[in-house]
Amino acid sequence: MDVVIADRLQFAFTIMFHYLFPIGTMGLAPFIAWYTVKAWRTGDEEAAKIAAFWTKIFAINFAAGVVTGIPMEFQFGTNWAAFSAKAGGVIGQPLAMEGVYSFFLESIFLGVLLYGKHVVSPALHALSAVLVCLGAWLSGFFIVATDAWMQHPVGYRVVSDGRIEMQSLAAVLLSRFAWWQYLHVMMGAMVAGSFILAGVGAYYLLSNREVTIGQRFVRAGVIAGLIFSALTIFPTGDRNSSDVTEYQPIKLAAMEGLFESTHGAPLAIIGMPDTHTKQLIDPIFAPNVLSFLAYGNFESNVKGLTAYATELWPPVELTYYAYHIMVGLGTIFLAVTGIGALLLLWSGRLYRTRWLLWLLMLLMPLPYIANEAGWTVTEVGRQPWIVYGLMRTSDALSLNVAGGETVFTLIGFLGMYFLLGVIFLYLTLREIGLGVERGT
Amino acid sequence: MISVVAFVVLAGMISAYVVLDGFDLGVAAITPLIARSDRERDASMHAIGPFLHANEVWLIAGGGALFALFPKAYASAFSGFYLPFMIVLWLLMFRGIAIELRKHFPTRIWHDFWDFCFTGSSTLLILLFGVALGNLLRGVPLDAHGYFIGTFAYLLNPYAIGVGLFAILALALHGALFIRLRLDGAPSERAARLAIPLWWAVLIAYIIVTFTTFTMQPIAAMLPTANYSAAVAAMLIVFSLAALVTSRIAVDRNAPQVAFVASCIFLGMLLIAAAATLYPYLLPSFPRGNGISIFDASPGPTTSVTALVAIVLGLCIMLGYSAITLPRLLGKIRS
Repeated sequence: MDVVIADRLQFAFTIMFHYLFPIGTMGLAPFIAWYTVKAWRTGDEEAAKIAAFWTKIFAINFAAGVVTGIPMEFQFGTNWAAFSAKAGGVIGQPLAMEGVYSFFLESIFLGVLLYGKHVVSPALHALSAVLVCLGAWLSGFFIVATDAWMQHPVGYRVVSDGRIEMQSLAAVLLSRFAWWQYLHVMMGAMVAGSFILAGVGAYYLLSNREVTIGQRFVRAGVIAGLIFSALTIFPTGDRNSSDVTEYQPIKLAAMEGLFESTHGAPLAIIGMPDTHTKQLIDPIFAPNVLSFLAYGNFESNVKGLTAYATELWPPVELTYYAYHIMVGLGTIFLAVTGIGALLLLWSGRLYRTRWLLWLLMLLMPLPYIANEAGWTVTEVGRQPWIVYGLMRTSDALSLNVAGGETVFTLIGFLGMYFLLGVIFLYLTLREIGLGVERGT
Repeated sequence: MISVVAFVVLAGMISAYVVLDGFDLGVAAITPLIARSDRERDASMHAIGPFLHANEVWLIAGGGALFALFPKAYASAFSGFYLPFMIVLWLLMFRGIAIELRKHFPTRIWHDFWDFCFTGSSTLLILLFGVALGNLLRGVPLDAHGYFIGTFAYLLNPYAIGVGLFAILALALHGALFIRLRLDGAPSERAARLAIPLWWAVLIAYIIVTFTTFTMQPIAAMLPTANYSAAVAAMLIVFSLAALVTSRIAVDRNAPQVAFVASCIFLGMLLIAAAATLYPYLLPSFPRGNGISIFDASPGPTTSVTALVAIVLGLCIMLGYSAITLPRLLGKIRS
């Protein structure tokens, strides 16, 4: 197999599988912190049980995240040695900081949260939940800051032997690109967390058990889901894509399936890009909207893919579909939680509206797809670059690792992760099945 | 100069990993010997439970620090030892899965299975870490760019395997002393009894390994800076022997805290001594010539300084909150 493809497949598979678990931890941690602090401040027994229930599910996610995260930390060295040697002076740093600043925080206070309930004071126990959340969110920040630098490199200089040196850590960590991307990613994780709460609550209500707790879950999940679905779109998604418009116009064109540069460019709602004929097949357009979204003006010129050399194009189909899946799902999330919130206000009718509860339950996996699709846009859309404009993915490999070796380890990861995925689903569904009352 | 500081910080972080993850690896290795019933094994796993993840973070943090402080060494080491490194990663993952899952499948047959996996993968890991250290001390064949050009089988040379076996003994002792500290009842008594023959075995193996390192592979004598780093190594070896003896005296006098701390100091000094032997190389070559030194692998002064400040500051914060929380989780567990 082509070495570049083998390495990219391995990285894509291991990172996408790994990322399923951080979605769970980053998306659930704020809810756990909220319920733990609430139980501590108000003596709300039920909130304490709810916190303990979600902490157990968090812990399963965390363990799976650690197990699948260990190879990520080292894969830059094993499979992408040329990239690591050239750009390690910049990207090594946020990765090291992730370990030192966030993993210690998260794991030490998770130890307190899980093992220390009867050993430490209630205040320290509640504080631990907040610090676990902080650790999870910080870890997300360092990863996104690393990725954002690969999207839009800042604060560096290239020295004589071609290595990239860090000039300013502050520039890397405080870059505008990084912050909007980070907030967008975190809002995405919160949507997933909200839908997990709402979905599990809907399951309890539909099966007519733990009704008061089910109602609390649905209420919290729907309200948080509405807020965070809105925030993924505006301002975070909007700002993020305006950064892409500014710094990565080819990615924007691929996302939108825009082949020809157009004044007053239309927004493709659906359609299938064909890179041979260079057009969108069977499209439905919203006229002039793309120009408005990109530049705030209905008549602006948006550059299409044909304005650039084909060798600079990212894989158009994948970027386009991933983007449309993400945006389509985001719209559905907003609509469903919006209707849910209205029914909730209408004297709690939501708890009796079985079709919507069914919908909430079945939608539970979809935020995961939306999150993964979003990352696919970001990473696939950056191709052919590994560091935008500075280093190509094809130049980034370990020269001393053969394609066959990578295929072997890829197969190993596939097997191990398949088992891990089955076990993870079994354990999580079993905890949900046990319920809040019986499980704690 | 900044590279030297970076090397010291990195060596400190790796040593901290060995001392800390060392005790849970060691407990995993000796659990079948000290815990007979399912309940006793539960207690043994519970003894390390709250610390396991935090201990493993030292490896992640150490790997990150290597990446940030010496990117070239990170790149050539991990790609050069691709297959062995992947095996280490898979064992680490397997170990994490095993201990997590034993909690969730609370029946005898599953416990037997997961405990076997946990002990097996942990013991193999110790062996491989030891083999890796052995090869580092001995040097490996590298090409002009610092990439490994030997085979997997080459890495399994007698000297490296000897270091691997020594590592198993040393961490088994470390684990037994930790069990003595945290558990009471039968497992704790068995750990105390096991500690005595283990201690003798560690002492003998230590003398053999140290002797071989300095005679068969006289790296220290070949290096330009041999004078002071070799002196540091020699001094640390003497101190570490004193720590080893202290741990034995403390076992005899039934002072488990002192015994465990002495064992921590023993392992820590050993690792720092190993680092001092390597200095200034991160990856020495054998035969000499193509090794990657801390100066070859440095990412430039600005990068090094910011990375060091960020890492050291983060470690200080971490030590602060660890000092507050971890001792509270160290209470005795009844088995």
